[in-house]
Formats: sequence, structure tokens, C-alpha cells
Amino acid sequence: MAAAVIERSWRDSTPESVEDDLASLWRDIAGNGPSIARAVMANLIVFRFHERRARPSDQPPLGTDDAIEALIGLHPSRTIVIENQRGDNAEQSPTSAGVGISVFGSAATRYGVERIVVRSACADVSLPSIVRRFLRGDRPTSVWWTEDLSRDVPSDALVDLARQLIYDSRTWHDVRSGFDVVAPLATSQRIDVADMNWRRLDPIRRALAHAVDGLQPGSPPRLSIRHRPGEAALGWLLAGWLAARLHPPRNAWPSIEQSPAGDDVVTLVIDDGATRVTTTLTEDRVHVSRAGMAPIVIPSPREQPAEAMAAELRTLSRDAALADALAAIGQRSVES
Amino acid sequence: MTSSTLVEQLAAGDSRTPQTDPVTIVIFGGAGDLAHRKLLPALYNLHLDGLLPPRIAIVGVGRSELNDDKYREFAKDGIAQFSRRPIDESVWQTFAPALFFVSASIDDEHGLAKMGTRLDTVEHERNLPGNRIYYLAIPPSLFGTTVKQLQRGRFVARQSSADDRPFARLIVEKPIGRDLDSARAINDALAVVFDERQIYRIDHYLGKETVQNILVMRFANSIFEPLFNQKYVDHVQITVAEAEGVGTRAGYYEQAGALRDMVQNHLLQLLALVTTEPPRSLDADVVREDKLQVLLSLRPIAGDAVDANVVRGQYAEGFDLGKRVAGYRAEKGVDPQSRTETFVALQLFIDNWRWAGVPFFLRTGKRLPKRASEISVHLKAVPPILFNANPNGRLDPNVLSIRIQPDEGFALGISSKIPGPKVQIYPVQMDFRYGSTFGGSSPEAYERLLLDVTTGDQTLFMRRDQVEAAWRFVMPILDRWAAASDAVPTYAAGSWGPAAADTLVESTGRQWRPL
Repeated sequence: MAAAVIERSWRDSTPESVEDDLASLWRDIAGNGPSIARAVMANLIVFRFHERRARPSDQPPLGTDDAIEALIGLHPSRTIVIENQRGDNAEQSPTSAGVGISVFGSAATRYGVERIVVRSACADVSLPSIVRRFLRGDRPTSVWWTEDLSRDVPSDALVDLARQLIYDSRTWHDVRSGFDVVAPLATSQRIDVADMNWRRLDPIRRALAHAVDGLQPGSPPRLSIRHRPGEAALGWLLAGWLAARLHPPRNAWPSIEQSPAGDDVVTLVIDDGATRVTTTLTEDRVHVSRAGMAPIVIPSPREQPAEAMAAELRTLSRDAALADALAAIGQRSVES
Repeated sequence: MTSSTLVEQLAAGDSRTPQTDPVTIVIFGGAGDLAHRKLLPALYNLHLDGLLPPRIAIVGVGRSELNDDKYREFAKDGIAQFSRRPIDESVWQTFAPALFFVSASIDDEHGLAKMGTRLDTVEHERNLPGNRIYYLAIPPSLFGTTVKQLQRGRFVARQSSADDRPFARLIVEKPIGRDLDSARAINDALAVVFDERQIYRIDHYLGKETVQNILVMRFANSIFEPLFNQKYVDHVQITVAEAEGVGTRAGYYEQAGALRDMVQNHLLQLLALVTTEPPRSLDADVVREDKLQVLLSLRPIAGDAVDANVVRGQYAEGFDLGKRVAGYRAEKGVDPQSRTETFVALQLFIDNWRWAGVPFFLRTGKRLPKRASEISVHLKAVPPILFNANPNGRLDPNVLSIRIQPDEGFALGISSKIPGPKVQIYPVQMDFRYGSTFGGSSPEAYERLLLDVTTGDQTLFMRRDQVEAAWRFVMPILDRWAAASDAVPTYAAGSWGPAAADTLVESTGRQWRPL
């Protein structure tokens, strides 16, 4: 349940006066009523290219101001939004900045969360000098990459600033290229990766742990995955996870096919010759069928995007299952 | 019949008002940058708060051709630009008449006589008893000459007791020398004229509110002090980072470098404060004696140990807030082949019972990503069992961080369960901020320090033996570097220093705390 905003303050600023302007905003807000807490659990760097901001229909609603506000109400984070005009012109310093405070809670327990927006036209190599200035170094730092990772790759310098990179593989135009970017990051352990799309597989992974009971571990089963249009990344993540856990021989890697549009997001068939287990993920549930067994039905969590994102931000441990899945996909990519 | 004076009788039991004698503050370098940016605004704020003596004169001395009116304009401009509080015209009208300027060079007889005559006149007109504070806001190379002239002009009476009146006190700014020998020479020159109890060596870091709070935090609370020892502390980090480059100080900085400019004084003073034993009283010499014991307990770093424990660096071209900035060697006034270090990181140990085996990591530098000064005390991690058993997500050890600037305050990092059905742990902060707790703006360091000089409190000033002990510690490092011919490592402006600084800490299984 997203926290409700009860007050907003915003003012234009300059990159040099961001902290002073924020302090001034806090004073203004503090004078408006009962005491207010400055809530900072983490740093959240939101990266977006501002030349694309003019064409919102081209982008999913990631990293929009509403999405950010919904998120920081749940996981209060000093949010540093970098709107960058991509280019190689390192002589360009940030062009403008703005600072804001969103106040959440009730009248009796108010908490405010800071947001800094910097518009720049800098080369990638200069961006860390902007971000480092505004980070609260004593808090965990996550980069929320709202752009299509398969097309726009975060620079190493930016990745090295954070402990976590959050993205959504559902937005990828080119799934293969996307995995080529994230698989090395996950395997190198330079940064923890969090794929919002991966969370959708949680119920299917839990259901399968029950459904495959009795299948012979020694005999590699045939694994086939069908996904509806636009869900190729999910299909690949499922395949990667299965490959990482079941270690199929090279010629028995899960097959991945696109199915016609329909209600089923992704369907997995595991067939070891004697037993066939069919697992289907829809928008709201997972259904597992196996001959001779009562079907298993697990509801998908009803998470708002902000809730899902907040859950990822709160998780400070490495997601070994995702990392293994990405490593398997990366290996498959190399072999093919 | 009491023997106390009427003044003493009126002041009896009044702990709210500092007891300050009427005084004349003489600022050598009175029309200089330090006076403009720091000293005059600090004096104005003290006046605004009613902390200066009601009878006072502030006399700038310098070679500039200024009269009193022009000097008052100069002061007003500095206050308008640099005071933490805006200028209040009605307050200014009561402050300005106390400002005077003597255009004189006191290294000649004429200038000395002119200054003496003017001081006598001002003190007579303002009914001042001749208590004087001489502030040497001038290059250290002029300290010796200036105090000799003060002696020659009979401006100073050597005090045998802190209670002697009229008093003469001397304030000197760092650097006190550029090595141990020159520091001794300066101290010897001052000692010919002034007794140690008359000398106030300013380290403005010690006047910062959070720094003053270190002893309060440690010894006015029962929760922290039991943990401040080798049994519970894994390591301590002290960072003093500047985002600025060398700016207009190249002439000085080329001769100094980060070790002399920052470590020998500011960082070692911070180290001493955070590690000192509980003083038996708050008497200035008791506190300073205990801090000295820390400096005397530092394990020397000499010879090969310098290479293993100290990293230097010089900033190269890089970025500041996205804007390309020049490297140190391309700065105005800097030798293009300069070997001056703009960054230092070092690991040191205090060989006493309390801190045996605890590494202290100190770093300071210019053109780092932000201006930030912090002391962080890293407590030992809990065992890798129970909540700390997951190898993919070890718990953050508790860290007590003391923020000196900006955003003064301190925070204690602890682990907390996130609300929900699962046991999921997240590092949270118990955070104290001066700004939001006490409101308003904290006094500038110079305000506190100048006030202490007027009241005769030397606690926050460096004693001669402290200064020389600090020099003794850094000298082997300077000697090693002076003899070296290898290239000084560089780091990109806007980064956290050379890679070797990270290696220094990471080789011990630790990391620099991000700031």
C-alpha cells in the first residue's frame, strides 16, 4: 500500500546550491506544522535521458515522477534523478537542477524525503562527479536504470557507485543484447542486480519445487518454454534458472518459443519421458498440472510496482538464484 | 567586608555570561583575506550575541593605506559576504565604532612607533586598560620578526600568572613551521617574548561544534565510552575531504602539501580527541596533556614502513560536478613538474593499552568528490551466525560516525528488522543533527576560538609540545618522500583518490566508508 503524499515542496536550484536549497526547503516545511522527520534509508539514483522525455509514449512509465514518489513513500531514499542529454561533450557541465521534498505520513507523524533532479549534457565519464557530490555515502546506494538496457548501457563509472542495479527486462527491445549487458555484471559480482521482471517468476519457482517431486534427477528432462509476445525476457530468465539448477547437457537446454497472444504469460513443460509437468503463469496465478496429481494453483502476489521495487531496495543480500540464471544465459550466449 | 571588587561581586554566580576583561584586539594582516572572511565576521557575530566585552577596540594593522572609515567599509563588506547571519544595521552601528586601522609596517621603527601611539590613543579614548590580544594573521615567516618588534616596542609584558593584568596574548595561525626544526624555531622565537600560557595556536578545526562535542559525546554519555577500545572497535577512519582545488593558495601549497597542510595538524588533532583517555578535569592543560599522550603513543612510520602504510597522490585532470577541471600541475602558480601531494591516506596505530592493534585510517585531499569531514568508529562485526549467517548478505557492522562538516552531527548505524512476515534486516541510522535538533546556525569555529582567547581558555589551542610531537610523527614520512624519485601517483579530480589508497584499506579486509 503506497504511502500518501500530504505535502510537496519544490524549487529550482543550481547544481552548486542543491544542498543549501534543500536545507532551506526543510526549514520552510518545518515551519508549516508539527515536527517532521528527514527520512533517508538509502540513496536512489534514477537515470533517464531527457531527450526521450519529450516522447513519453516511446517509454514505459518507469522513473516518472509519480512512480518515484510512490516508491520513496515506501522506501524513503534520497533520490538523485539524472536527466542526461547523451553526448560526448565533457565540457558541458550540468545545465540546471531542482530540489524537492515529498512529505508522507499523517499529521502527527510526518516524514519527508528529498529529491534532487540534475539536468546535464555530460559525457558518461563525468557523471559520477555529479552523483558522488549528492550521495549520502553512509546509506546503501541503488541505481534505477529506467532506460532500455538492451539499447542504452550504464557506464562502468556509474555502476561502480552503487551496490545494486535495478532494471526491468520487460522493457527490452532486444532481449539478447540486454542479457549480454547484465550477465557479466551479475557474474562479476561488481554489483547486485535486481530485475523487476524476475520477481514475476517467484510463484512459478515455488510451485515447481513441489510439482517435480518424484521426477528422476539423473535423467535430464526435456524442457520447453512458450511465452506470449513481449515476454521473451521472462522466458529466457526461466530457462536460465532451470539450466543453472538442473545442469542439462548442452543439447538439452530449454527450448524457448513464442506463442500467440493470450492469457498465458509463460508455460513450461517438463517431460522426463515418464512424467509430464505443465506449469502455466498467468497474470494472477500459477497453475501446475501433472498426471495423477491434483493441480497446484498459487496466486501471484498482488504487488504494485512501487511495492515490488521497494522490496528489492530493501534486499541487501545478493540474489544468488538470479545471478545463477543470468550466468547460465550468458554461458549459453557464448556457446551459441 | 569582602575583598572582591565590585565587578567580581556583580558577576558572582553568573555562569551565563563569560567573564571577559576589556580588551584591545590587534590584528596584524588586518586588511587581509583571513580578517575579511573569518575574523571580522566572527567578531561581529560575537558582538551580536553580546559575548564580546562591552569595552573593546579592534585594531587592524597592515600596509594597506586605509583610514578607520575605509576599514569599517572593508569589515562591513566581509561581514555582509561571509557572516553566518545577515548584517543588522542597528547592531553594526554599535560595532563599527570599535574598529580602527593603523597603516603601518612594524618591521621598521617608524611603523612600530606609529602603531604604539595609535593604540595608546584608542585605549585612552575608549577607557581600555591595556589588555591586548595580538592576532598574527600574517605568513609564518613574519612571526619571528613581528614578536621581536612587539618586544622591542615594549608592547608585551611576560606573564607569570594567568591572572596578571594587563594581559598580552598572542594568536598564531598554522602552519607552525614546515618541519620539526622550523616549528621549533618559530616556537623558540615566540617563547622569547611570550610565556606558553600567553600563546594561542589556532587549529580552527578544534573550534568546530562537532569537534567540541567529541569529548562531550564520549564522557557525558555512558553508552559510548565503554566501547571505545581495542576490545570492541575494529578500526577508525578519519576523512577530511575538499572538493576545491588549490585555488589561489598555490604559492603556499606547493611548499606544504597535504601531509603538512592537513595531517600534521587537523587530522592528528581529531585523532587525539577521539582516542584520548578521560581527562581528570576540563582544565586546559589537563586536556592538552592527555591529547599529547596520544601523539606520543603513535607508532612511528619510517623507512620501508612509509611505503607500506602511507599513500600520496596528486590530482590530475578530471571532473567537478560534471565540469572538466584542470589537474594540479596545470593550476596557476604550480610547478608543471610539481611533486607536491594533494592527497594522503595512511594507516597508523596507537601503541597504548586502549588502542593496541586497532588500525586508524586517515585520508585527506583536494579535488575529491565533495567537501566532507567525518570520523567513523567501526565496531567489530557480530559473529557469522544467527542473523549474520548468510554469506550472500553479511550484516553491516555498527558504525558511529561523527560528521564534522557539512551537516554537523553524529549517527549510529544499527541493524533493524524490516516490518513484515520475514526476518529481513536493514541498516538504519540513529541520527543526531545539530541543524534540526537545536535549530539556527552553529557558531563558526573562529567565533568560539576568539571568545576563548578573550576569556583566557587555552583548551582548544595547540600547545607547543603537541605541535612538535605531531611534527616528530610526520617527519620520517616527509623525509622518505623527499628522498624518493618515483612518480607521485595521480588520481582523477572528482574521484576518491588514487587506487593505492583503496588497496591500503582493502588489503586489511576493510573498505573506506563511502561519504
